[in-house]
Amino acid sequence: MPPPATTNLGYTPPDGGWGWVVVLASFISIGFSYAFPKSLTVYFKEIQEYFGVSYSEIAWVSSVMLASMYAAGPISSVLVNRYGSRPVVMVGGLILSAGMILASLGTSIIHLYLCVGVIGGFGLAFNLQPALTIIGTYFQAKRPLANGLAMTGSPVVLFTLAPLNQFLFDSFGWRGSFLILGAIVLNCCVAGSLMRPVNKMAVPKPKAEPAEVNGAEDAAAEALRIEDNPKSQSCVHRFIDFSLFKHRGFLIYLVGNVVMFFGLFAPIVFLAPYAKHQGIDEYSAAFLLSIFALADMFVRPATGFIGNTKWIRPKIQYFFAFAVSYNGVCHLLCPLFSGYTGLVVYAIIFGIAFGMVCALLFETLMDLVGAKRFSSAVGLVTIIECAPVLLGPPISGAMVDTFGEYKYMYYTCGVLMLLPGIFFFIMNYYNYKKLEEEQKQSASVEMRTAEDSTQQKLVQKDDLTNETEK
Amino acid sequence: MSASYTHLSCQLLLLLMVCRHVNTKNTTVITEPPVETSGPNTPPVAPLTPLQTGQKSVVLTGENHTEKVEVVNPVTLNLECAWTGNNKRLPNITGYWTKDGKTIETSYSNIQLQNGRYYLRREFSIMNEEDLGTYSCIFDPKAKVDFILAAPYLGEVRDKPIVSYVGDSVVMICKMDEKKPKPLSWNWYKQNGTNKVKIEVDSPGHRYKITKDEKKAKLVVHNLTESDSGLYYCGAVYGIGTSVGYLQLRVITYFEPLKPFIGILVEVLVLVAVILIYEKTGSKKDDQSGAEGNPDQNTNQLHGENAAADGRSSTRQRKV
Repeated sequence: MPPPATTNLGYTPPDGGWGWVVVLASFISIGFSYAFPKSLTVYFKEIQEYFGVSYSEIAWVSSVMLASMYAAGPISSVLVNRYGSRPVVMVGGLILSAGMILASLGTSIIHLYLCVGVIGGFGLAFNLQPALTIIGTYFQAKRPLANGLAMTGSPVVLFTLAPLNQFLFDSFGWRGSFLILGAIVLNCCVAGSLMRPVNKMAVPKPKAEPAEVNGAEDAAAEALRIEDNPKSQSCVHRFIDFSLFKHRGFLIYLVGNVVMFFGLFAPIVFLAPYAKHQGIDEYSAAFLLSIFALADMFVRPATGFIGNTKWIRPKIQYFFAFAVSYNGVCHLLCPLFSGYTGLVVYAIIFGIAFGMVCALLFETLMDLVGAKRFSSAVGLVTIIECAPVLLGPPISGAMVDTFGEYKYMYYTCGVLMLLPGIFFFIMNYYNYKKLEEEQKQSASVEMRTAEDSTQQKLVQKDDLTNETEK
Repeated sequence: MSASYTHLSCQLLLLLMVCRHVNTKNTTVITEPPVETSGPNTPPVAPLTPLQTGQKSVVLTGENHTEKVEVVNPVTLNLECAWTGNNKRLPNITGYWTKDGKTIETSYSNIQLQNGRYYLRREFSIMNEEDLGTYSCIFDPKAKVDFILAAPYLGEVRDKPIVSYVGDSVVMICKMDEKKPKPLSWNWYKQNGTNKVKIEVDSPGHRYKITKDEKKAKLVVHNLTESDSGLYYCGAVYGIGTSVGYLQLRVITYFEPLKPFIGILVEVLVLVAVILIYEKTGSKKDDQSGAEGNPDQNTNQLHGENAAADGRSSTRQRKV
């Protein structure tokens, strides 16, 4: 069961109001984080010719950027824990912009790796983590919907950036385009400025949560702690919360996701080449990707909405497991779709599957670890996911090259998605059971301590009234 | 044209000798390039080697058809059109050939209906670039087949201008498709007024660098200036002639992208300022009215201190 918000966070998230503006801001930040590396591929051909390198060398720019974005996750988490979302996103926008402007002056491919890849990736990481974290602070009841909406940023921004990049390239060549992109990404700073720290009213946010039992929190203990000085935070939470590695839900999520990420992105990367391999012309093959992106775009908010309904919300982990398994089944069936119509159908179904997984990806993590520890959790998850994200497409590419056929790669990806799906079903069933047990236990403890504390308070109040009377 | 007719008579003699050994297929493509004994820099093969012969046949069922024929080396080409006829099915009709729209006078002939089709055949000798073009066989009422004879097209040439910057260098590439025959050599030209000036590598300033391999030619221009803008041609040299692709170069200064850059920068600064000022003024109003709901964290502690006295009551209210 997801932890009740008020007891866990120490305040009531607004679930609306300025929260929707924050969703818009996260939409922009998340959109840039995921779509920006993918949209740069438009420039690769010219840059490849300009520097006289092979295509795989230039493709590394995107990979380095993605890897850097994931690897810088923990640093981002630390900063968000310390300073909040707003400053980190604004700094991220500035770093990304600086990276692109420096890249436009580049004289070698290494220069591009450093400026676009490493510096750009850092900038993106400083956008991604805070954007995800701040949603958790503003929403509780409507959080799946907010997450779904924010994650829609990725396909929408990609859809906008792709033709924009083409236009910039035709007008200004790659150097000028990088310069102008450096200005466009400064809009992340605008997004950052919208990320007002949530108003916690009279109550300072209690951060120290030593060895927190998953979800179930003692309401009375919380009440007592509220009057503590907000400045006394445990040293761990000023940096990153490694105690998450003892957290059952977190471990389940981590293990499942690492396996899943190996097979998540490869099918998208190979959709167009697979179509061309089947004899479909280049434009129709590219159109398949547009169909995929459209399906993705509409499914994400829909999934957020469904995840928010009262039937799904309590057991949202199962919904996520279903989405992952559905992806797996989709890929296993892919070789059965032949011809252009078949591939269009596959693109739509895959788009729906992928959108569902992405919309729920971070919502489930928030659900498991709670909004307070989410910042650290996402940092740890992204740095560990760095490996499968990077290795997935090249391994799939190697598979295609060895077998000469795409279907084995699709089978593998299907299995790599189906197994985590089943794993999630089983493990989350076990996890939900354990959570229920723990809640029952802590509820009985809570009753006892509540009785004790109310007795204590009554005694104290009597003392006070006695004093004032005197 | 007279030269080609003398060539034609020479070939007729050669053909009579060689004819039996040449394989004439009834359907698609032909033209095998001759064996390359000379290097890529030598001029095209002299016509003393036995000419290739090719055949191209098209069956026309409608009124119009266009057929592209790739010619690499000088060749004697037999073009054949077979028309299935229209509703009338006259036993005799007339047909003739045109080249590039102009009727070939000697080509008028009466055609008999044979096996349900009207046949029109003619032999053309394609010796040089002038002989390339569109040859059409026309059956008198309306039916027509166009044969477009050309050297292999340069497929992968960028049709939009290449943009580069003053002081920077640019790489222009012309590539011939993998499946198409390899050119003998490559040449680069720049459009100067109305002339095509050939680009030599040892031109003053050593600004040009040409790299050629079989399928690809690369022109690198260093230290660009605005006068380098314009049309560039790359020519793939074949036995029959040169296949040309053109590229357009546009050289601009750094000020051009700087304008939208500054525009967007200003937009971002304005938006951020507006958002932050709105927030500050919003919080000041709340401060003055003394109400709760204050987004500014600085005043929270003040509030917290004030509320200490009624702290207990507020916690009791907030219990779930």
